[in-house]
Amino acid sequence: MTHALSAAPGPVRQCVELARKDLRLELRAGEALLVTAPFGAVALLLVPLAVGSDTPLLRQVGPGLYWVVVLLFGVLVALRQSAVDDPAQLAVLRLCGVHPAVRLAGRAAANTVLLLAFELLLAPVAVVLYDPDLSGWPWLPLLLPLVAVGLAVLGTLAGALAHGLAGRTTLGSLLVVPVAAPLVVGATQTMDAARYGRQPWAWLLLVLTVDLLVTVALGLAARQLEESA
Amino acid sequence: MSRILFGRRLTIAVAVALSAGLVAAMLAPPDRVQGNLQRLMYIHVPAAWLAYLSFAVTLGSSVAWLWRRQMRYDRVAAASAEVGVFFTGLAIALGSIWGKPTWGVWWTWDPRVVTTAVMFFVYLGYLALRRATLDPTARARRSAVFGVVAFVQVPIVHMSVVWWRALHQPPTVLKPGDPSIDHVMLATLLLNVLAFTLLYLLLLRARTRLAAVEEELETAPLGEGQELAGSAVLAPRLERS
Repeated sequence: MTHALSAAPGPVRQCVELARKDLRLELRAGEALLVTAPFGAVALLLVPLAVGSDTPLLRQVGPGLYWVVVLLFGVLVALRQSAVDDPAQLAVLRLCGVHPAVRLAGRAAANTVLLLAFELLLAPVAVVLYDPDLSGWPWLPLLLPLVAVGLAVLGTLAGALAHGLAGRTTLGSLLVVPVAAPLVVGATQTMDAARYGRQPWAWLLLVLTVDLLVTVALGLAARQLEESA
Repeated sequence: MSRILFGRRLTIAVAVALSAGLVAAMLAPPDRVQGNLQRLMYIHVPAAWLAYLSFAVTLGSSVAWLWRRQMRYDRVAAASAEVGVFFTGLAIALGSIWGKPTWGVWWTWDPRVVTTAVMFFVYLGYLALRRATLDPTARARRSAVFGVVAFVQVPIVHMSVVWWRALHQPPTVLKPGDPSIDHVMLATLLLNVLAFTLLYLLLLRARTRLAAVEEELETAPLGEGQELAGSAVLAPRLERS
């Protein structure tokens, strides 16, 4: 028995395995990258039809629209159907001694990977459709993961809050989107600052602060949320 | 029922304080630049402050529920959030009415205005979460967690005029040093803050009591011999049967 306990995987390993499980489920379902991502691309395509095909205007607003689409449709990625644990799954995880914070961390890690892939899929679409000024691109390798982490953790929190409720996706989106506003501001201002030759560290710091705050909130609330799951 | 919800002495105190506040707002000197339009401040600013207070009470009650697990804290948190959403909506509406003649637009992308709107929607989400969760204990737990997270918006709204320079004026009272406002105007403003605080307490008390009655109704067993809704509807009988 002692041997069995000592051989139990640590929290990091548990987290990685749970994230892999989520990613494997998504690979089978294809909801995030085969349905939501094309839906986001359609949104990027429709905007010029609504506001007019003024190329200089679209070039100016393109980056902002990209981040808005990432936020609105990224929430759908985080709240996808394959990221719902049924009561039996939760009971098994509890019996296996998986801490609620570890379970949610695994979900957040999988969400981060999917959201990053979602961002990377939509970025070339936005570039092709809007032809934006790409002078701030060297900051993107830092910015894209930071936004993905913030949105993933917020989506995980909202998914846990709305677990088992009717209209989970709509309610979760309402909970996430207003709180995620600093992420959009930070992302767009980072690109603007870089374009005008200013250092965008302050805006990156804003995004990082949001990431840290929501991660701490998720960690602190994990046990409470587990009880209501 | 209305006497149980609203009581008597507090209601009278609210009526007196609101009347005094209204009279003081009418008698206060007009603004040198904006004239009588500035009198909107005596409702706009107390509404915004009371929104902060309401959400702070929601935060405190949410923490108290997570700590003590007593339903009365949940009732206070929910009631205060509802009243806070009302005051936030009032502050936004009055700000918009004030903004049209002074800024020339009903809505502007000023950081204070935008962050206040975001706060409004965050707490609408809080109320939607409560409405969607049927089990009382799960509802209390989930909304308590979100009630703590949502409060992050309040300092952001307050500090937005300091962090970003924009159209909205910076703090004139809640700031270090002497308030940068005429002292008669300040006294009138504080009187209205007091009146609105009493109104807040009245609404909070009424809503909390109403929530207690709703809970009793939800948990009350169905009386024996009482007809169920729809019991008068009979299954159709076919003529040949």
